[in-house]
Amino acid sequence: MADEMTAAFEKAYNGGPSIHGTLRLPVGKPHVTVLFGPSGSGKTTVLRCLAGLERPSRGRITFAGETWFDADTGGQAPPQSRAIGYLFQDYALFPHLTVAGNITYAIPDLNRKERQARLDEMLRLLRLEGLDDRRPAQLSGGQQQRVALARVLVRRPRLLLLDEPLSALDAPTREQVRGELRELLRGQNIPTLCVTHDWVEALALADEVAVMGGGRVLQVGPPDEVFSRPADADVAAIVGVETVATGRVVGRKDGLAALEVGRVRLWAVEPDGRSEQFYLCIRAEDVTLEIGTQPSSSARNHLAGRVTEVRPAGPVSRVTVECGFALAALVTRQAAQDLALQPGTPVTATVKASAVHLIPR
Amino acid sequence: MNWTAILLTLKLAALTAVILLVVGMPIAYWLTYSRRRWKFLVESVVALPLVLPPTVLGFYVLVAIGPKSPLGQGYQAVIGHPLAFTFEGLLLASVLYSLPFAVQPFTAAFGAVDARLVEASWTLGISRLATFFRVTLPLSIAGVVTGVVLSFAHTMGEFGVVLMVGGNIEGVTRTVSIDIYDEVQALNYAGAGQTAFFLLVVSFVILSVVYAMNRNLWAVWPMK
Repeated sequence: MADEMTAAFEKAYNGGPSIHGTLRLPVGKPHVTVLFGPSGSGKTTVLRCLAGLERPSRGRITFAGETWFDADTGGQAPPQSRAIGYLFQDYALFPHLTVAGNITYAIPDLNRKERQARLDEMLRLLRLEGLDDRRPAQLSGGQQQRVALARVLVRRPRLLLLDEPLSALDAPTREQVRGELRELLRGQNIPTLCVTHDWVEALALADEVAVMGGGRVLQVGPPDEVFSRPADADVAAIVGVETVATGRVVGRKDGLAALEVGRVRLWAVEPDGRSEQFYLCIRAEDVTLEIGTQPSSSARNHLAGRVTEVRPAGPVSRVTVECGFALAALVTRQAAQDLALQPGTPVTATVKASAVHLIPR
Repeated sequence: MNWTAILLTLKLAALTAVILLVVGMPIAYWLTYSRRRWKFLVESVVALPLVLPPTVLGFYVLVAIGPKSPLGQGYQAVIGHPLAFTFEGLLLASVLYSLPFAVQPFTAAFGAVDARLVEASWTLGISRLATFFRVTLPLSIAGVVTGVVLSFAHTMGEFGVVLMVGGNIEGVTRTVSIDIYDEVQALNYAGAGQTAFFLLVVSFVILSVVYAMNRNLWAVWPMK
């Protein structure tokens, strides 16, 4: 009990749906939980209730033995006493303060020397050296994000709450910052709850994913499990990515990388960087199926397996093939009938190397 | 020119502005952030001096500070002399009369400060009071200066309330505007003209300084 945060609360809105926050987070170790869901699913409300900026209507929130909110006693700890770090979606940097002023804002009680030392530490950690006299308006989006992170990390929070940390950035910057953020969060001994609606971000950052929809937490689990084995149709519709498997790079050749996924080997476009461990994401519409075990096309990845499930969905059918991992494929219903697909049918699944999307773990 | 009246007026205006700065900010803060349903009532009360004839306001203040009212009696018991027809009584009336000129610009300025900046400060562990002085006030300084100056200028020019509450006591409650009125009544147009011109120049200079400074303030603190 003492080493976790538990939240089970409800926030009711007049005339709107109520938001249910049900979460458990380990405390005191680096662990990133991603709260994943479409906009309007109540993610930010959950974050604001945990920060103490919003008052839940019912329920209880405890953090490592402290009670942050208890509807029965009516007690609520103010945001000031929770010792958390909250990263706002567009960073909320103080426009009248310099970068240095922003970063040291939360540590006014330290003496000059100590404050300067912490500032230097943060400027180094977040690669902001030389920018300490700038105003937020003079910074790029990526720099603003790093200043905002430095501002919350400088006071060594017990919990990090990140609200769509990358959504305010343009696409190329986002790509780069995503990797940096992952490294940074792994290096900090702070549990993190990160809200996002971007599945790439969720996979890249998460140790654990909590899927939210319609104001409720629907499923919690490791990222690959949640994304490739959604608990029900609602979760499946929210996560949208049909196949997520974990793999390790075992070779690189001609701009391609070979990845070992369980007992099979898949080719993908060679990723940047030196990561070895990846999530492999494959969209169901990029998978083609043939009867039998003799592939006919020239595509790189041929995976022999057996159909485990055929689920009609409108004009198409969703077929799951067990080929070392569970691979989802989308075929027209006509094709499903022509191929006489049913559980047990031996098939060969084909995926182009370029359709295998790699996300570093 | 009646220098006694001019100095008295400047003193009254300055004190009124200072008191409104201290009293007006908490009221404006409450009006900005409160979610009480009866907030509109407070807003209406604060705005009343804008629409009431000064004589009506002056009349009620006079009754309220008179020797028969609890306020007047209490004041006399503590201080030793009555409140009506004194500088203090006039000051009280001026503060009430200029209340909207301070509170409304303050409220507008506080309301224009991004609420997320305030919340960010709270989640960084900074108390509400410290957040006010470190975030809200610096970001709304232009509006606060405007409110202080407007209440100063408005007090310099008040007439009806002074006449009702202060009477017309040389060196105690005779302000510039009353002095000008007296001079005109006595057909001393030259004296009235001098004082009137002085008031005009002072008001213009103050307003010019404020507007020039306001622009400068924004240049120092660029908004996103």
